[in-house]
Amino acid sequence: MQVFIAQILNGLSIGSVYVLLVTGFNLLLLVAMIIHFSYPQVVVFSMYIIWLVLKMTNNNLLLGILAGVSSAVLFNFISAPLFQKIMKNREEVDINATMVLSMAIGWIITDVLSHAFNNGLPIQFPEEITGSRPLFRIGLISILPGQVWALSIGIIVVSGFFILLYKTKAGRAFRAIAEDPAGARLVGIPLVKTGFQSYALSGVLGGLTAVLLAMLFHSASPGLGEQVSHKVLAVSIVAGLGNLTGGLVVGLALGILEALVQGYISGNWSNAIAFVVMLIVIMVKPKGLFGMKV
Amino acid sequence: MPLSLYYYLSITAVNILMSWALYVPYRMTQLHFITIANMMISGYLAGYLVLHVHVPFVCALLIGFVVGGIIGYVVSLFIGDAPTFAVVIVGFTFIYITRTIVENLSIVGGTMGMFGLPNIGGNPVAHRWIILGILYGLVVLCGFLIYRFDHSSIGRAASAIFVDKELASSLGIDIKKLGMLVQTFSCTLAGGVGVLYGFIYKSFHLDFFGFALIGVYMTVLFVGGYSTQWGPLIAAPILYGVPLFFPPAVQSWRIVIYGVMLILVLVLKPEGFITRKSVYSIGLALSRKREKVIRS
Amino acid sequence: MELNRTLVDEKKTPMLRVEELSVSYGQIHALEKVSIEVYPHEIVVLIGANGAGKTTLLSSILGVKAPTSGNVFFEGKKIDRVPVDRNVREGICLVPEGRGVFASMSVLDNLLLGAHHNLVNKDKNLARVYEWFPILKKRKDQVAKTLSGGERQMLAIARALMSAPKLIMVDEPSIGLAPIIVNDIFDILVMLNKEGYTVLLSEQNAFKALKCAHRGYVLETGTIALSGTSSLLLNDPGVKAAYLGA
Repeated sequence: MQVFIAQILNGLSIGSVYVLLVTGFNLLLLVAMIIHFSYPQVVVFSMYIIWLVLKMTNNNLLLGILAGVSSAVLFNFISAPLFQKIMKNREEVDINATMVLSMAIGWIITDVLSHAFNNGLPIQFPEEITGSRPLFRIGLISILPGQVWALSIGIIVVSGFFILLYKTKAGRAFRAIAEDPAGARLVGIPLVKTGFQSYALSGVLGGLTAVLLAMLFHSASPGLGEQVSHKVLAVSIVAGLGNLTGGLVVGLALGILEALVQGYISGNWSNAIAFVVMLIVIMVKPKGLFGMKV
Repeated sequence: MPLSLYYYLSITAVNILMSWALYVPYRMTQLHFITIANMMISGYLAGYLVLHVHVPFVCALLIGFVVGGIIGYVVSLFIGDAPTFAVVIVGFTFIYITRTIVENLSIVGGTMGMFGLPNIGGNPVAHRWIILGILYGLVVLCGFLIYRFDHSSIGRAASAIFVDKELASSLGIDIKKLGMLVQTFSCTLAGGVGVLYGFIYKSFHLDFFGFALIGVYMTVLFVGGYSTQWGPLIAAPILYGVPLFFPPAVQSWRIVIYGVMLILVLVLKPEGFITRKSVYSIGLALSRKREKVIRS
Repeated sequence: MELNRTLVDEKKTPMLRVEELSVSYGQIHALEKVSIEVYPHEIVVLIGANGAGKTTLLSSILGVKAPTSGNVFFEGKKIDRVPVDRNVREGICLVPEGRGVFASMSVLDNLLLGAHHNLVNKDKNLARVYEWFPILKKRKDQVAKTLSGGERQMLAIARALMSAPKLIMVDEPSIGLAPIIVNDIFDILVMLNKEGYTVLLSEQNAFKALKCAHRGYVLETGTIALSGTSSLLLNDPGVKAAYLGA
């Protein structure tokens, strides 16, 4: 029972990271109309930037977080014109080409991380960001500060995002474009400008997620981005592409599933089992559990 | 034959074949990465059969083809008509699952890999010639099959699906059946190539089958041109060969170079370097020349 | 009709002037040198069969479809090749054919989308829109897809009004609506006109449209075949035969 509770808590904190990533991915899909497959790789890149800045500034946490968020935003802004150009190439939104472009960006990130940072070895985050010791421990359950932070920041950011989406002018424009881009244009919503806003917003989400990942995992390796990318794409398909609520549910569920597998089955099977479950869902219901919104 | 030339020729053939394995399903917009998993499954299986059960290489190779085809067929029952991103993620999941199983399976060497596969034909020289012979025989055979496919009514149907899936199905094209056909073909091919891929080095290791492979094959396909089979055929030797002449410091950035090249091509030449139009005009020029020769 | 005479006779400068506009989709010419003018406080109707180019004309005025040649002037400023959102900000709006409302969003959200560039005055505009369309106030928190066809058309018009437009373009408002509701919609357009809005309307239902409009243009396969005051068009034998079923 104690293992169970511990792993549920673990799963919720990792799940909240998946939720953030899927939300950013879906935002780009719905508003900018691209499949940014490698979005999580951008996030892992930001983790490396945080690590680098922490190292250079002698663990100045604020500067590290700022650098992480701004690098993710900057990265999105640099790649945005490329995506826009590709969509214009074929006169209409070609979502497959955007996915291929995004994959290429992902390979570049992975390869740069494995060459240019720390000789390709995994990086370790300092205690300033991960927290030094468990907050408290009851039997087998130990709660690490990183988990608490991840879970609470995750909840705040996701609810903030939903408030933004449903209560503000920009959010209204996002939803209008997601539902009917041509109609949104007729109403007078500037498509390109709003698209760029979504790049910026998903950049901010990504930067914050990078901080959470650093708190939770305490380390990162060049291959992390690829793995998380595949999971995020799988989660968003299982939930139904573009379905934000679905992403919320499935993201948390994946986190819990993985944590339980880790808690009860030895060996490195958690990835494979998570993927088997998602594979079955995708093969049986290719449009996702909650329906596509694209 | 020098060893480096042997590796260059054999890996180039593998790259051509595997890019074609991606090319055929992409004719109808499916990016079928499950082929990488097929390489791994058939390769390790054949390696195990040859090394531990002492099955002759030819039988193991055939089993590799068949296993690839069966997996491809079964999967295509579910995703024969699935949209691109669903096919993509099914491929990735298969790669993960296969990798994890191989990692945890001690009879195929786990993370250590499988070494010491025997020479086919008894000695290393014969082994190289046999492998190259089979690989290039496959290139010719598949080239011919894909050529026939492209110039048949089903090739036309695939092009119609690429342009507009709904319109195509309203014309009476059975998308699922066509999807099953191309997916099964790709997976069969990939299974056999996977066996040969391991036997080139006479060993199997997980690192041979990383996600980087997808990067290489995708770059070959999209830089060469995804709209005709000639694109991958011409791009594979160049893309694999040219970086070999770079200094080692640059060579280690190969994936970055490929990635940048792929982005540039997607942005500037969305159809790749060899398009249907260029193939058509080259064909036209050739036939004019032939006419001249015949006349004179 | 009295209003009509005063407007045209005064020779005011037109609010909207379309000069020899040509638009093509690839090889197909959708519009060939079309010229129309809309004066302030007028209702002008574009009559034509399916495929005559009415929708193309309206969307090129708004800037959705770039013309191959010709000019569009709005209040003296050249507006072809200006992005759609700028034109909306300047006071042109289009109520699209098929009542293009955002079905999964609430009625209030739809209205606020219309005020995307004009959120400062949103309370004033909302109050006015609710006064004209009380039914929308009653249903403001409902999702738009639960509305009936007529209500959706009202929502689409109301949404256009939220941008505080000077010129309202309405594309085929009567399509797919019951006759009695069509009357309501035309009454609304006349009422809006009396409130001071200029209306450019495209319609296949020529009789009803001409009854409430001041002037009309007849579009046939991308060119203006005929134009004049409503009474003139209503009595024209060609129009009668082709569009009025007489």
